[in-house]
Amino acid sequence: MSERIAGSAIVVENLVQRFRVIHERPDTVRELFSRFFRKEYNYHDFDAVHNVSFRVPKGQVLGIIGRNGSGKSTLLKIIAGVYRPTLGRVEVCGQVAPLIELGAGMHGELTGRENILLNGLMMGYSKKQMLEREQKIIEFAEIGDFIDVPVKQYSSGMYMRLAFSVATEIDPDILVIDEILAVGDAPFQDKCFDRLARFRESGKTILLVSHSLDQIEKVCDRCLVMDRGRLSFDGRPAEAIAVYKGEPLLTTAHELASSPA
Amino acid sequence: MIELFQDTFRYRQLIWALALKELKIRYKRSVLGFLWALLNPMLLMLVLSVVFSTIMLAPIPHYAIFLLSVLLPWTFFAQSLSYAAESIVGNADLIKKVRVAKLVFPVAAVVSNMINFLLSMIPLVLIVLAMRHPFHWTWIFLPVPLLALTIFTLGATFFFAAANVYYRDVAHILQVLLNVLFYVTPIIYSIDFFPAKYRWLLKLNPIQYILNGFRLSVYYGLLPSAASVVACFVCAFAMLIVGFGIFKKHQDEFVFYV
Repeated sequence: MSERIAGSAIVVENLVQRFRVIHERPDTVRELFSRFFRKEYNYHDFDAVHNVSFRVPKGQVLGIIGRNGSGKSTLLKIIAGVYRPTLGRVEVCGQVAPLIELGAGMHGELTGRENILLNGLMMGYSKKQMLEREQKIIEFAEIGDFIDVPVKQYSSGMYMRLAFSVATEIDPDILVIDEILAVGDAPFQDKCFDRLARFRESGKTILLVSHSLDQIEKVCDRCLVMDRGRLSFDGRPAEAIAVYKGEPLLTTAHELASSPA
Repeated sequence: MIELFQDTFRYRQLIWALALKELKIRYKRSVLGFLWALLNPMLLMLVLSVVFSTIMLAPIPHYAIFLLSVLLPWTFFAQSLSYAAESIVGNADLIKKVRVAKLVFPVAAVVSNMINFLLSMIPLVLIVLAMRHPFHWTWIFLPVPLLALTIFTLGATFFFAAANVYYRDVAHILQVLLNVLFYVTPIIYSIDFFPAKYRWLLKLNPIQYILNGFRLSVYYGLLPSAASVVACFVCAFAMLIVGFGIFKKHQDEFVFYV
């Protein structure tokens, strides 16, 4: 890891994620041929994330808010290494545990117990390491006998409990959470936030996407606001929420000076 | 290429877990479970030997052994391809949410079919004993064609797994290709049945060299010529280099298409 990012857990520079949106993508060879000969190929390029730069120091809890389709999840997927960005640079220092959408890296036909192993192996842990943690993961998830039932029969809350337990119990350096805490019940959510607090105390970095602004204000040190792929605000959570809601910011001295009397 | 070996080694536990997952899903909710891997070749043998030795009167003694010695490796090849073609698309849920080396999926498809193949060799041994066919010493040579077949199969699976991400027709085209290949390759018949006029065509069929190694060792008790063994490995490595090359070039894009 380069020296420039010493002390940073995540460095994102001029990040662009461009998607080619093909209108009625040819799904079959027949369509492909017919289009090829008619030379029609309808698409437009669209930047889900456009020119975003920020750094996250180690140990920070960073919230990301924004409307649907503003690029929050895309950003998290790039940081988690699922997408390779079109342009720009991402450097991530340490092991990332992604909790992106429900059932991150779980297979419906396998039981909860088998998924603990699969999930851990996918994140690069060994079988031995996972077996050592298995009992703790099961205890934290509190899903009882369902641990030996295929996860396709789980409720979304059970899914989330298991995924959260795995991701936090493997002790990653960076935890990336996309919107999944919302499905947990109140007692479990409290448990999750306790755990996140302990995570933060031990110097781990957390990225949290949420539509629950209370959660963001409660747990984050800093918050980004995404707007149509661009970073529109980067600063204190309370202010970020105000920007997101379209409320006027508490006017700063700088703005007072520059605004007409 | 080095990347292929490094990653396969690095992710060996994941590949193994995925391979077992596939087997588990294949045999799930079946009463006999893994026994099907043994029963399938036996039942197939029964059908084919009745058809070919009593109805079609094939002039080949111990036809079941003649057939199975090649049919079992062929099944490994064909099933691996069918599974691998769907391996990236079928694991979309995993690929979209976790960063993972994509090659584990086709490799796991091959490994799970390899397990199936090795299990299916047990009934072959039983059949050889039951029919009192001589147990040739050349059986010890079997790992050689098996290695060539595995390399060849891996190469082909990488290609089809990648191609199917972009065009889902590939999985269907593959079935047609496998069907054609099954009949133009001397599997249910002997090379001698091939009209002499077209026999040069056989020389262009890489899978034929590899499969013939199995038949020579198990059925005839002969070893393939050194030249044909070299041909096998040249074809196998060529397939692997091309297939993995294409896969590697496109693997970062898969997540956008699955």
